[in-house]
Order: sequence, then C-alpha cells, then structure tokens
Amino acid sequence: MLEIIDLHANIEDKEILKGLTLKINKGEVHSIMGPNGSGKSTLASILAGKEDYEITKGDILFNGESIMEMAPEERAQEGIFLAFQYPIEIPGVTNSYFLREALNSIRKSKGDKPLKPVEFVKIAKEKIKDLKMDESLLNRSLNEGFSGGEKKRNEILQMSILNPCMSILDETDSGLDIDALQIVANGVNANRGDDKSFLVITHYQRLLNYIVPDFVHVLVGGKIVKSGDKSLALELESKGYSWLEN
Amino acid sequence: MENFKKNIKDNFEDFYSQNTSSDVLNNFRKNSFSSLNSLGLPSLKDEDWRFTDLNDFYKSAFKHRIQDNKKFDSALIPESLNFSDVTFIYLYNGKLSHFDSIENVKIEDLESYISRLDSNEFEEIINGHSEKNKDFTFEMNSAFLKDGVYIEVEKNIKLKKPIVIINYYDSEASFVCHRNVINFQDLSEGQIVEYTFSDDDISFLSNKATCFLLGNSTNVEHLSVDESNKSSYILSNLKISQKKDSNFTTDTILIGGKLYRNNVHPVLNGEGSNSNILGLYLSKDSQHMDNYMFVEHIKPNCGSRQLYKGILKDTSKGVFHGRILVHNEAQKTDAKQTNRNLLLSEKAQVDTKPQLEIYADDVKCTHGATTGQIDNEALYYLRARGINLEDAKLIMIRSFTEELLEFISSNFILDLHKSFVEKWFLNSQLAKSE
Ligand SMILES: Nc1ncnc2c1ncn2[C@@H]1O[C@H](COP(=O)(O)OP(=O)(O)O)[C@@H](O)[C@H]1O
Ligand SMILES: [Mg+2]
Repeated sequence: MLEIIDLHANIEDKEILKGLTLKINKGEVHSIMGPNGSGKSTLASILAGKEDYEITKGDILFNGESIMEMAPEERAQEGIFLAFQYPIEIPGVTNSYFLREALNSIRKSKGDKPLKPVEFVKIAKEKIKDLKMDESLLNRSLNEGFSGGEKKRNEILQMSILNPCMSILDETDSGLDIDALQIVANGVNANRGDDKSFLVITHYQRLLNYIVPDFVHVLVGGKIVKSGDKSLALELESKGYSWLEN
Repeated sequence: MENFKKNIKDNFEDFYSQNTSSDVLNNFRKNSFSSLNSLGLPSLKDEDWRFTDLNDFYKSAFKHRIQDNKKFDSALIPESLNFSDVTFIYLYNGKLSHFDSIENVKIEDLESYISRLDSNEFEEIINGHSEKNKDFTFEMNSAFLKDGVYIEVEKNIKLKKPIVIINYYDSEASFVCHRNVINFQDLSEGQIVEYTFSDDDISFLSNKATCFLLGNSTNVEHLSVDESNKSSYILSNLKISQKKDSNFTTDTILIGGKLYRNNVHPVLNGEGSNSNILGLYLSKDSQHMDNYMFVEHIKPNCGSRQLYKGILKDTSKGVFHGRILVHNEAQKTDAKQTNRNLLLSEKAQVDTKPQLEIYADDVKCTHGATTGQIDNEALYYLRARGINLEDAKLIMIRSFTEELLEFISSNFILDLHKSFVEKWFLNSQLAKSE
C-alpha cells in the first residue's frame, strides 16, 4: 500500500531524513518510535504532502504509484490521512462545516454525490457517540479552545468520518489520560480492516498495548535503525533509545 | 485644487439661487457653505486625510444636478433584495421617488419636511449632527441639503417589517448630494437597510449622509451596502445621535467606488446607551477605501464596540482611522475598537491608526489592529483533509468575516450581509488570487 524508498529530506538546508525505507502492506499496523527530534513528524508531514520540505532523494509510492508530485488534497482524496501531532485551530469555521466540506470533497473526487447537511450530521453524530465526545463539539469553531485531549479525539473523529485506507497517527497518544487513550484506541481499532493500514507514531509504548502493531520500527537520526515485532516496543520501554544511537 | 474649489463654488451658487426654501434652511445652506470654504480642501498634510490622496479627485469637474421627479424602476432591484415582506423606499439619484406607506411611520421628502421646521426644531433634527469636528464632506452635504428621505418612527412603535431604502444613481448623475434622516422616537424599534447601486459606465461624485436620531430606550439595527460602480467617488457620512438607554448596531459593507471615504460618527449622549459599529471593506483592483471612525462618548455608562474588517485584493488600498473621544463627564465608558485586515495580494495595502482621547478617569478603552495574509498552516490542514486549495482559501476568507456576524441579531440583516459578501467572493474569483 505505502512504500517509502530511501527518502532524504531537508528543511532549511538541514538534512532531517537520511535515507528512510519502509514498506506497509494492506491491513498492516506499523509503529514508528523514536526520540524527540528524530524526524517522526517530518516523515508524517511529508507523507501528507506538506510543501515546506526539500526532498533530495528517494520516492514514496502509494498503491504502486509515486505521490511525490501530488498536492495534499489529492493524497487525502486517494485515502491518506494524517492525524496531526498539533492540530490547527481555525476560528470562524465550525467543526461540522469543515468535516462536511472535507467529506464531500473526497466524495466528489470519487464521483459520489455530496451529502446534504442532515445526512452528514446523522453520520457525524454516530461517530461522535462512539468516541464518547460531546455533540456540541460539532458546532464549535474547529479546534478553537479545545483541550489537548479534545483536539486529539477530534482528529480520530475526522479519521473515522473520512474513512481513509492509510492512516498516519502522529503522537495521538501524547497528552491523553488513560481513559481518553482507550477511547482513541477503540476508535482506531474500529477502523482496522483487511484493506486498511496504519502508521502509528508514538513516543511511548503505552498506546501499543491498545493498538497492537504488526511491526515496530525505531527511527533515530532520520533513519530506521531497527525493526521488529511488538516486543521491540517493550524492549525500548525498558532500555530507552540510547543503545541504538551512535 | 483651485479648479475644484471653483467648481464647487459655481455649483453652490447655482444651487442656492435656484432653490429657495424656508429662511432657516436657506441660512443653513449658506452657513454650511461658508464653513466649507473656511475649512478649505483636505490634503495629505491633514491628520484626518493623511492616507488618502485626493489630488486625482480634485482634477475632476462635477456638475451638481437637481433630480427631477423620475420614477425608480423596480425591475432594477438586484435579486438579493427581492423581498415581499419589507417596506421599500426608493430614491432616484438621491431624491425620494416613491415608497410603501406604513402605519405609525412618517416618510417624506427631506426638503419638504425640514422646510416646515422652525429654528428650534431644525436645530434638533438637522443641526444637532454638525457641531465640532467639522469635516469638508459633511459641510458640503449640508450646503447642498435638499434631497433624501425623512423617516420618523412614532413613540413605542416596533417596526414589524424592515425598512429597505434603495438608492440608484443613473447615467445622468454627476454630482449628487443627499441625506437620509431617520428619527426613532422613544421606545421604538426597527431595522433599516440602505442599499446603493449605480449605472455601470459613469463616473460621478456622490456625497451622501445618513443621520440617525435615536430616542430614549430605542433599539435599532442598520445595514448599509454600497455597490456603486468602480469609477465613482463616494463621500459618505453616517451620524448617530443616541439618547438614554438606546441600543444601536450598524453594519457597513463597502463594495463599490473608486475612492470611498466612509465617515462614521456615533455620539453617545444619553446615559446607558450602546453602539456596535461594524464594517467590512471589500476592495479589489485599484479601489481605495478610507474608513474614518469618530466615536464620541459624552455621557457616562455607555458602551461602544467597533469591529471593522478589511479584505483587500490586487492593488487596492484600505485605511482605518479609529478615533475615540471620551468627554470628561463620560465616566464608566466601555469603548472597544478592533481593526483586522486580510491581504490577498502582495500589493494590497492598509494603513491603520487608532486615536484615543480620554478626558474621564474611570474608563475602559481598548484598541487593536492586525494585518495579515491567509495562514498557510491552516490551509495545509484543510487540504490534508481533502479540501481543494481554492476551496480552502475561500473557507479561510469566509471565516475571517465570521466574527462580525456575532454582533448582528436580526436574521434579516444577517442573511443580507452574508448574501452580499458571498456575491463579492464569487464576483472576485477570490480563490484564484495570489
Ligand atoms: N520548520 C522547521 N525548521 C527548522 N527545523 C525544523 C523544522 N521542523 C522541524 N525541524 C527540525 O527537524 C528535526 C526533526 O523534527 P520532527 O520531525 O518534528 O521530530 P519528531 O517528530 O521526531 O520529534 C528536529 O531537529 C527539528 O528541530
Ligand atoms: Mg513530532
């Protein structure tokens, strides 16, 4: 589904990703762990199509085709979703208006009819209930004044409404208490399926107790230095990252 | 500049000799003209005009014209104003053409009404608005005072339907002066919409004024939209005189004009009164929109909230000059001023200047101004959810105007506001701009 090949990326002439290779097949859950500043968010942003980076080498294939030249919205329409580490606040745009615009843009790209406001609200309300969120969040300005946990849950709400096939979660667990963590994990698990893949970026092993990954990779200094199964996460939890740095 | 002065003088002399009215009105015209003369014409050296270059404007010659009785053709009304449940008043080149009559509301040609007033009444209805802070645009409007409509809502009356004043400038307009005086008696309520538009291919000078007299405990909402063509010069004054416990909200949307001077002057001269002064200037091409606010607090315990926003495209320019004057008696004043600008091109430009003069010691007075472009992080976030770049830009631009809506309580005005703004977005192909 997603194939990252020898990716090198700079920001402001500083090399952040230094030859990253990763292959995620349909239905797999991969986790990337790594210390702060190792390039996890950079990778996530590049996958979503953020334009601030200079890709000096490498390629990203999605369903076999390069997406390097694709705009962020085209990637989203193809089914790539990024849950932001720091979701953006947009005053004056209600959450429900935003979500409906997003869903309808994606539907339009597939040739589906746009949903009417009532149809949309029905779907949104179901998902909101599943995530144990407050319905009033729909009528509030997008992320404005949301608590850290509300913002993260709102990302998962967006994911479950937009129903992507490749979801990238960037530290969605940070700042969540254990209850919120379970709710978020349930939201993710409910979306798992044979044709859906996940890349779960996290700093702590904790989340992986709930979202059990098929593969765990360690990103240090812009490169994957070690890969393994879920036991690697436990090993990292007890040993830290220093034994992998040099 | 000298030519322009002479042009105005010639126009005035013709006007004055051809229009004899009551002694009170004759004198008022003459005095206003001499006041206009002694003020002189503003230049960039004047503090109140330092961001608006009038030199080009002074090169034009205008011929003042008294409108004969031409009937406004309702077929000209734009779709967005096609309502059945409102009270329409039609002006043609500023002159009252015809109107729907309603109970408990006097609607009359301005000159015909004010020529019956004795000097005391005249003082209250007309002159009360033009004391200090004389400005050449308003003095000019006073010198040529004749056309326009007088509206008086009787005491205790709550208007069931909004009053919509439509003013149309046709191809014969060259220099038009007119004034609407809207008088809400104590305890009355209502909504007033003023919509101005014009024939497409003429360049003209419109000097228009709207003066509100708001009695005790009145509650009034006002929307003013000007879509005159982009070769016109518009000098506009909105003056509001508020008595005790009156509540007023005005929402101005500037769309038209090559050069637009928008003077807004609320005077809070009754205790416990409140004024919301909202505005949205939407400029493109080489339009120039100069907003001059003068909020005057005279009595204690009054509130004023200015929220003016600009969206500027192409090489257009905007000005926001926000003057607040709190007189020494006006303790417990709560005055707030906000100006925000969204620049949609590298070449668009805004000058903003607050001016606070406070002579009372127990007041709350705040001001703030921001100017920026569409936030790239926000755009990326929207796009990462599948929203196309152009739609994402439009969402961001629309969201910029949203804050104004919170202050509008009438659904009628709210819907109109939105429809004019959306129309401008559409006509301006906003999403495609840099
Ligand atoms: N906009 C930026 N400008 C300059 N350096 C940046 C920028 N964004 C990230 N970096 C740098 O890139 C490196 C990787 O950052 P990031 O991808 O956010 O790491 P992680 O998510 O793993 O904590 C860090 O050294 C960070 O300082
Ligand atoms: Mg990060």
